[in-house]
Amino acid sequence: MYEFRLYIIGRTPKSIDVIEELVRLLEDALDGYYHLDIIDIIDNPALAEKDEILATPALKKVSPEPARTIVGDLSDAETVLLALGLTALREEAEK
Amino acid sequence: MSERILVIDDEKAARMSFILALKDTGFEVDTAESGEKGLQMKNDAEYDLIFLDLKMPGMNGIETLRQIRKTDKKVPIYIFTAFHKEFLDELKIAQKEMLSFEVLKKPIGADLIVTLTKLILGQPEEAEEASYV
Repeated sequence: MYEFRLYIIGRTPKSIDVIEELVRLLEDALDGYYHLDIIDIIDNPALAEKDEILATPALKKVSPEPARTIVGDLSDAETVLLALGLTALREEAEK
Repeated sequence: MSERILVIDDEKAARMSFILALKDTGFEVDTAESGEKGLQMKNDAEYDLIFLDLKMPGMNGIETLRQIRKTDKKVPIYIFTAFHKEFLDELKIAQKEMLSFEVLKKPIGADLIVTLTKLILGQPEEAEEASYV
């Protein structure tokens, strides 16, 4: 099971768009085999510190290892999947 | 035409860190030493990205954000601040007012300034640049 944490700064229209896009992307790539936690940095700065989050929005792949974090524009599926090392999985899912 | 970036911070060292980090990227970087000056510059020119310090004397980061958003709801604005609860709590005011912004942790290294700027402006050279371990 893949575990992700998405760090945002409040539930704004923009961050809701980010969440929806990300869920679509992860559903396509991982066929539901994932868990996504949404973390508001303002409410949980300690976890953001622990996860070494440097900016929002940020998506951290917690498991499986290696852990990786992607920041900035999360709307580009190719970039997100490549950065998190998930491209091969999506290709497998598309077969 | 190069993208234009505005850095608003009362600390000279912070402004210089952005200038130095971005000097070979092709972006145009302007700086302002106060919220008032930053607002004036924003009103006089178009920017593609704004980095905004939270804690400034006079017009602080939240008020500067509020004023910018009155006329421009789209320009990406990254507020940079230490990720301590006492500072982040101040951002709740902006949240309640539904002001759009993101945050950037202070202090920040030159590499991340460049990476993040390129990502925000749609210019990652490689996907690996988008991520870090």
